[in-house]
Amino acid sequence: MLCPNCDTDNIPGVDVCEACGTELAGMDLPEARSGFRGKLLTARMGDLPVSEPVLVSPDDTVREAIERMREAQVGCVLVATDGKLVGLFNERHVLTRVLRKGIDVASTPVSEVMSPKPFELSPEDPPAFAIHSMVAYGFRHLPLVSQGKIVGYISVRNILAFLHDGVIADTAPAS
Amino acid sequence: MGSVEKLLAKVRIRDLPRRRVCTVSRSTSLGEVYRLLDEEHSVAVLVCDDNDLVGIFTERDILNRTALEGHSDTPIGDLMSPIKGSLSTDDRLADAIALMHEGGYRHVPLPGSKGEKPGLVGGRDILLLIAEHYPETLLNLPPRLDQRMTTPEGG
Repeated sequence: MLCPNCDTDNIPGVDVCEACGTELAGMDLPEARSGFRGKLLTARMGDLPVSEPVLVSPDDTVREAIERMREAQVGCVLVATDGKLVGLFNERHVLTRVLRKGIDVASTPVSEVMSPKPFELSPEDPPAFAIHSMVAYGFRHLPLVSQGKIVGYISVRNILAFLHDGVIADTAPAS
Repeated sequence: MGSVEKLLAKVRIRDLPRRRVCTVSRSTSLGEVYRLLDEEHSVAVLVCDDNDLVGIFTERDILNRTALEGHSDTPIGDLMSPIKGSLSTDDRLADAIALMHEGGYRHVPLPGSKGEKPGLVGGRDILLLIAEHYPETLLNLPPRLDQRMTTPEGG
């Protein structure tokens, strides 16, 4: 990886040039390509049709969280205190952490069964980051947080919609 | 390697790795279905009469219809959803994405034919295949662009 400032050949992946200290972080990230593959790296998730967050408080009961998911027809709620994300509770947790454990939904606060400090992304991040997190770590829902404020979340469904609108709808033969 | 556009138009459902899916009969109890979904790390059970697919019961059905109601002894045949959309192994990934997007489905059953067992295709299976085709775009990334290592080796 050549330093653009002094032409020193640095080890790939270093953050600063070993000779002149120029910032090199991010320079060896893959270059955006043309077509949809380029969009995966250059689009912003904030520009995608992301899902509106459904927020609950950590003190809300599991029953209330499930009722909120039903009303909004969503698969997860974000748990927040004073607008700050503190956890995530989804339909998988309903099965594995509530029903299978025999938890009393009417008296247990959602904070006891949520995933605390969920992995989050920024609306400035590209969709490639969301896909990476979904396939590498198995995350289903990724909260989008900008300067501490919850702006939405992205799910596999949102990525499929992005693929559909960006690839399939664009290339479908006119009928 | 080609473009994402060509990949989705060319790859068939049969080229996806088959995900593990549980098949049960109509008489299987809801409690047993909960156990299967949990222990087999599965998102849905397919309900079959012999090898014929007759219904599906997913995590979303649990959330919407049974999580607060109990029913753990109820046979799954009374709670399952009918099959609304399905795919065949000859369909292309583009067909699967279109069906999921337009129908609002996250998982679509494969009824199976000619002795094949019924299967299930999920959106994540499609993302995984795309990621495997473009590892330098989708897999070899730091989790965050702003991630910094504090030592040259990152250790």
